[in-house]
Amino acid sequence: MKYDQYDLIIIGTGFASTFFLKKYLEKNKGKKKILVLERGQFFPHAERLKIKRGETSNFKGTQEHWEDTVINKNQEKKWPFTTGFGGSSSCWWGCTPRFMPSDFQMNTLFGIEKDWPVSYADLEPYYEETEKIMSVSGPDETPFPKKGKYPLPPHRFTAVDHILHQKYGSQYISQPTARASRAVPGRNACMANSTCDVCPVNAKFTIENSGMDVYTDQQVEIVYGAQVFSLETRGNLAKKVNYVKDGRDYEIAGEIIVLGANPIFNTNILLNSGDNNSLTGKGFGEQLGMQVLIYLDQMKNIGGSTWVNANGYMLYDGLHRKDFAACLIETNNAPYYIRLERGKWLNMASFRMIFEDLPMESNYITNSADKLVPVINFNGRSDYTLKGIENMKNKLPGLLSCLPVEKLKYLDPFPNEGHILGGTRMGHSAKDSVVDKYLIHHQYRNVFVLGSGAFTTFSASNPTLTLAALSLYTADHSF
Amino acid sequence: MNRRKFVALAGVGSGLLILPSFLYLSSPSLRKYAGELIREELHYLKLAPGGVDQYIEDYFNASANNILTNLKWKSYYYLGIKAENSNQIFELVKYYLLSTDFFIHRMDESKVLNYLGLYNPYKSPVPNPYSFVLYPEI
Repeated sequence: MKYDQYDLIIIGTGFASTFFLKKYLEKNKGKKKILVLERGQFFPHAERLKIKRGETSNFKGTQEHWEDTVINKNQEKKWPFTTGFGGSSSCWWGCTPRFMPSDFQMNTLFGIEKDWPVSYADLEPYYEETEKIMSVSGPDETPFPKKGKYPLPPHRFTAVDHILHQKYGSQYISQPTARASRAVPGRNACMANSTCDVCPVNAKFTIENSGMDVYTDQQVEIVYGAQVFSLETRGNLAKKVNYVKDGRDYEIAGEIIVLGANPIFNTNILLNSGDNNSLTGKGFGEQLGMQVLIYLDQMKNIGGSTWVNANGYMLYDGLHRKDFAACLIETNNAPYYIRLERGKWLNMASFRMIFEDLPMESNYITNSADKLVPVINFNGRSDYTLKGIENMKNKLPGLLSCLPVEKLKYLDPFPNEGHILGGTRMGHSAKDSVVDKYLIHHQYRNVFVLGSGAFTTFSASNPTLTLAALSLYTADHSF
Repeated sequence: MNRRKFVALAGVGSGLLILPSFLYLSSPSLRKYAGELIREELHYLKLAPGGVDQYIEDYFNASANNILTNLKWKSYYYLGIKAENSNQIFELVKYYLLSTDFFIHRMDESKVLNYLGLYNPYKSPVPNPYSFVLYPEI
């Protein structure tokens, strides 16, 4: 380590940390000492591909499995995540719809939970900036307000998408996505392989291929294999970061400390630091996803792009959110949903229905006797979400009446949606939240707690674009 | 022994899934039943000689490979269970189709299906049968 004390210490190298650091560097040129502590290693995309192809790689077996890093009290509920350089950018599927403006005003509009302390209008320029950095592909018309065009043209519709877009217009669109529809520097064009966690053609945005170069900046020093477990606090400030590396404990002093791990580990660090806000760790959860198979009569659902092809908003917004959850439709152009009846092999559409859930106090994260291992306590879904599923089942046949539907088959909800949310939610004071509108901890005023843990409510939309935009927003307003 | 006799003997009509021991002990190759299931299910397609057998070898070598697995497929065959009634048969036949050039030839039944290697989205020439790569005109 170069110094005894740093101006800025960042924990983690995922979306939240990287976008924060990008904006911070733009505003503090060439004069800061910055330390990044990453618990994992740099695991290159090329090596991940080798493993997927069954080829030899020195990296095989080096990655942590999420279930080895936490105590998950409810084994039916899964919380998969990826550690290491780039965080979840190394496993996400590149879905980047914006939140709807209503997602920030759930209390004002629907009497549900609390409003966010930031609005859609506050985030709009940062959405725009994030989409530019990620070279997002998307359509001209969207259900959410948007000032500029997406950097890349949209992906292709399937035959079913064409019909639904014709009927529902901007309520049914090609999904905005960080899977490139055209080649851009560092990334190829998507070839619809329909396996996006490790993109076979490197079309998906990752921190590794982003070209953001924040970790090679001369001001930045990165330490791998450093697992942060607590902060040393004095009064209302954090003074040092405590971490384990190669089995030994270390500490390092910092002026500003940024927690950019996922919500589970951000919470663990705060609880191990003596954070006595009763809300820390509470209101943790994620959206609920379930698949609907749509059997089509004499219609092939061909011509589309990769797995998540389009988004439908017909069940998303409206006064029904006073009573039950919004539902975002993802249409999946996936090879695994084919039929075996003669002549009908591709007469199938598959929709993933994603429902918002409520941040309930009965779902929470705690620390444990092992300072490195948090405990996930998940005790179930809200009635609000379950009623949303019933509403969807009632409404979907009518919504699809423009298609030649033979039958619908509803599959069981998935054990995870891959979107870990809440636990360090934002609000106006320590009485209603953990962090303020700039993601600064209400008590420890030199500690930022980034990421989707800060979401006041969960939305039905994929969280990554919003959490990255929030990082730009908070760094822009704080320095 | 034909299927009908076997079904009657084993009492599978009443839901039993127990096979008489002589049946599997005397079989030359337990995996052949999985191959027979594919050939029956896709009887209307022209399957290249040897392709199904090679697929079966690859499929079972890539997944659990033990006597219970093989027995399972033998019983599916003899019980006359179809893909529409069994997720495991559905998966077996589905991955066979995805592992051939069937979708690359846009499901042309007049063409012989050639096995290209076990389906893998990282190796298969066109891994998504729905995609614009195969149907650019849509």
